[in-house]
Amino acid sequence: MPSFAKLFATPWIWSFLGALLVWLAAVIFTGGHGAGGMITAALSLAVFTVIVGLGQMFVVTLGPGNVDLSLPANIGLASAVAMKTMDGQDSLIALGLLAALACGVVIGLANYALIRVLRIPPIIATLSSSFIILSTDIHYGRGLQIKPPESFADFANVQILGFPILGLFGVALAVVAWAGLQRMVYGRSVLAIGQNMRAAKLAGIPVERVRMLTYTLSGALGGINGALLAGYFRGASVDIGNEYLLSSIAVVVIGGTSVAGGKANVPGIWGASLFLVLLLTMLNTFGVSAGLRLLLTGLIIVGVITAAGGHKTGR
Amino acid sequence: MKTKLVLAALLVSAASTASFADTSSMKIAFSNNYAGNSWRQAMLDSYGLVSEKAVADKVVAASDVFTTADKEVPTQAAQIQNLILQGYNAIVINAGSPDALNGAVKQACDAGIVVVSFDGLVTEPCAYRVVVDFAEMGRQEVEQMAKFQPKGGNLLEIRGLAGTSIDEAIHQGILEGVAAHPEFTIVNSVTGDWDQTTAQKAVATVLPSLPDIVGIVDQGGDGYGAAQAFAAAGKPRPTIIMGNRQDELKWWSEQKAMDGYTTWSASIAPGVSTLAFWVAQQVLDGRTDIPHDLLVPYLAFTQDDFEAELPKIAEGGVASHEYTLEESLAAIKANIK
Repeated sequence: MPSFAKLFATPWIWSFLGALLVWLAAVIFTGGHGAGGMITAALSLAVFTVIVGLGQMFVVTLGPGNVDLSLPANIGLASAVAMKTMDGQDSLIALGLLAALACGVVIGLANYALIRVLRIPPIIATLSSSFIILSTDIHYGRGLQIKPPESFADFANVQILGFPILGLFGVALAVVAWAGLQRMVYGRSVLAIGQNMRAAKLAGIPVERVRMLTYTLSGALGGINGALLAGYFRGASVDIGNEYLLSSIAVVVIGGTSVAGGKANVPGIWGASLFLVLLLTMLNTFGVSAGLRLLLTGLIIVGVITAAGGHKTGR
Repeated sequence: MKTKLVLAALLVSAASTASFADTSSMKIAFSNNYAGNSWRQAMLDSYGLVSEKAVADKVVAASDVFTTADKEVPTQAAQIQNLILQGYNAIVINAGSPDALNGAVKQACDAGIVVVSFDGLVTEPCAYRVVVDFAEMGRQEVEQMAKFQPKGGNLLEIRGLAGTSIDEAIHQGILEGVAAHPEFTIVNSVTGDWDQTTAQKAVATVLPSLPDIVGIVDQGGDGYGAAQAFAAAGKPRPTIIMGNRQDELKWWSEQKAMDGYTTWSASIAPGVSTLAFWVAQQVLDGRTDIPHDLLVPYLAFTQDDFEAELPKIAEGGVASHEYTLEESLAAIKANIK
């Protein structure tokens, strides 16, 4: 069965398989009760991880050491900027989204400036910039929950036949990201830089411009994510992006993107995001305690990465 | 000893001025480990209001607030050591860890500094602890639920930050409450971390698999998220115990206007920071009869009085209550047996 073998050789299939397995486990536990509801909830929640996961994927693909650790702080600040700009008024929704996007772009550019101009390694640069962003956010938002305009919150919660509208946006974004990665000069440049930065430079690729674009892209996606999160969860807060530090990196790795760079996988981001949410669904459904849940989450993520990675070395 | 007792009695009877207290040359520092949510912001606001007035009234010479960037325990330990060197007479602490700061706290005590912890407590015996009766709050949640849902039924529990003493105390209280009310069954419990987003996410993932839920018992900051998760899943709205947040009370008010929705709200008042301030001031004043563990009541609102409180809370904030010196003395007195 060569087609099967080929299917299992694709790195992203494992994340979807994992998602399917944990979903089945949860459904069997409840005796089939709530199977559809779980999928709807998973699609609604996974899309936020997909958005930042795609940004993180491009950054990681640039090669060893490249990572954006400022995403959680970026999301928090952008959520506050978006909600304050919207000021609870429907007419200002578009302006609020633009403001969040601009906020993310500025953060991305600032990250790149730290990396390029001050020659700070990306891990340190983005981590230290996140402290600055966090402090700005605490000062700006005063730690208060800032509410979105009612129609924006309602829009973020719309479902079409059980399929959340933000999920559709996430799928569209993934298609664009896939096209950008595989069919555009920009994406091919990112891959080439990740495979060998020196070779890419010698081949005439504007390495620094591509890196700048990539950090800016990641920042922009973080900004948009902040605005959407504040809409869906009806309120911006400093902590709203906290979980996306680990999960944005986890979905990149589980989804089959190489941590060493030069090899990216877009469908895997969706599979891995669904897997993470459904894993939480399964463990919550089982009713395991918080400590055990964290332990199992860690072990299962390690297991999936090993399963997916083990295949790669077999090539 | 006798003069001290007389002084204490005088303080109790004195109306509002405490300017005769001999703490007017003393400095109190506040070491805080986080400022990034509405509760902490309200806590800092309350503390600032009361302590700045105390300085203006010359009750104490100085009162300064020091907040570390991001829940980092080693940073807070270093900060406390700095405060010792800077010559503060008392340190009020909202600690990032119950035991990891004990070394620094012990150093402060050894240097003759009064240490009062609240909310995030320290276990070092030489420090004072202002403890809110969280177990009673948990018990009372189920008591109230029994009034609203006399037939009983399935409850969903939302827990707080795992591993904290507060989460454990409220949880135990809820378990005791359910034991006293066998008509209720807790069918599942999820972790909401006292955070709206986390709570909504956790409830959304578990909701499809749950049987019909009549009520939600929680820990504050998670009620609004739970309500959103039920609305998003198109499930009937249960009785959700609230936690004094502005968005929770506003939602409650809207539901009440719509169909007479009834529930109950309780949480630790951020203004408990001001009680910690007065305890520090009283100990500096020479009082030796104050127990090291002070149990204080939580702040609760009922169907009849929550709407009066609502306009007083900042948009997106949390209900607070600042302790005056007299109220603090009464709270201390209630703990002396």
